[in-house]
Amino acid sequence: MTRRSPLDARHRALGARMVPFGGWEMPIHYEGVLAEHRACREHAAVFDVSHLGSVECDDPDAFGLLQWLLTNDLGRIGPGRTQYSHLLDPDDAHVVDDVIVWWVADHRFFVMPNASNTDDLVAAMREGVNRVHRAVAFTDVTASRAVLAVQGPKARELLARVSPEAAAVPRRAVRVVGEWIVAGTGYTGEDGVEIHVDAGGAPELWDALVGAGVVPAGLGARDTLRLEAGLPLHGHELGPGITPLQAGLGWVVAWGKGDFRGRAALERERERGVARRLTGLSLEGRQPARDGAPVLRGGEPVGVVTSGNFSPVLGHAIALAFVPPDVVAGDRLEVDVRGRRLPATVVEPPFVRR
Amino acid sequence: MDVPEDLRYSREHEWVRITDGVATVGITDFAQESLGDVVYVGLPTVGTAVRAADSVCEIESTKSVSEIYAPVSGTVQAVNERLVESPELVNRDPYGDGWIMQIALAEDPGLDALLDAAGYRALVE
Repeated sequence: MTRRSPLDARHRALGARMVPFGGWEMPIHYEGVLAEHRACREHAAVFDVSHLGSVECDDPDAFGLLQWLLTNDLGRIGPGRTQYSHLLDPDDAHVVDDVIVWWVADHRFFVMPNASNTDDLVAAMREGVNRVHRAVAFTDVTASRAVLAVQGPKARELLARVSPEAAAVPRRAVRVVGEWIVAGTGYTGEDGVEIHVDAGGAPELWDALVGAGVVPAGLGARDTLRLEAGLPLHGHELGPGITPLQAGLGWVVAWGKGDFRGRAALERERERGVARRLTGLSLEGRQPARDGAPVLRGGEPVGVVTSGNFSPVLGHAIALAFVPPDVVAGDRLEVDVRGRRLPATVVEPPFVRR
Repeated sequence: MDVPEDLRYSREHEWVRITDGVATVGITDFAQESLGDVVYVGLPTVGTAVRAADSVCEIESTKSVSEIYAPVSGTVQAVNERLVESPELVNRDPYGDGWIMQIALAEDPGLDALLDAAGYRALVE
């Protein structure tokens, strides 16, 4: 069954084009992807990201469970902070999901998976509880709340008109603000916050933000923004067959913290070295090279594009791609787009630096 | 949605304006709205012979790639070079500055298969 956001009626009233995404029906754009992209880079945009999962874990053993479950080290942060982390497959160390952990208070955590991976995360948590811990309580609270991402250079200024306290939550921090939980996180490469709000209170918050001049933006702009920022999207840069090391996200793996799910398999890959790695490609023209397009070196296929689109800020096409590990920034490659060979230069993401 | 009365339409959402044996071709307001923001138009080569219903070029939005089909048979006589740098004209003015190509009509251009405005409106509404 298709799930709908608590803000569904707001999106439809704004004339949004709704599309299926990860089992949800969500807005892909309102006015247009390019205008919304620009609004986020130059002003402030609000995204309904309620399709992301929220798994709440409020238990004295939550820290231990998450330390075993995820690759990053929660010991590096503390209560009131957030951390990006990976859930790995125990057999081949592929990235089952990439998540953000909100460490809200002493032993209260929110784990935010991708929409379509929420069930996999919950299953892995259950497995973790069974194997190494006793009766750690966790709940999928996705259906009871909305999550709004307010992003852009003016995001905090405009949010402050609605809630100065929410607008003051520092980058990567997380705070309880009245009925909300607010984190200094995002997926656009811009400064801003994400607000976890009860489903019932979401329309009022949405209206207040839009009333303050924040521009509604859909998943289309969210995708072009994260691509410019070089951020991975599960199902493209992460997923079956792709480990954190191949994706260039070795910093997400805390080798010093002891055992974690998938560690042994990932150690084997670390020892033998990765067979491919993710990099950025800068194309000359506007024509997008999309996921699946072969990457050529000296006319021979050596890799594949995982995401690609037109970059509204740069004015030409950009892509993320898997290439052999000996490829370095500045190398000249080609991308085969339905028989046309487009020249591409290797660049290390992000494409757009803020 | 805008469907001008004085144009003919293909079932693939191209519009056609015929003047002195030459068909000016673009995509309809409905098509540009469905595509979303156009970021690239792969224009055909001038001089190419095309047959009605053949795929002649590609158009890409931030979301996807689509084919443009020749609504009539003939020879590509001109292309809208402005779309190379400003493909957004297809969204902004689909029946005017956003035109894509001109086709000099063949002897049997296949005009009978085209719809009038009422027929096209019935197709998309």
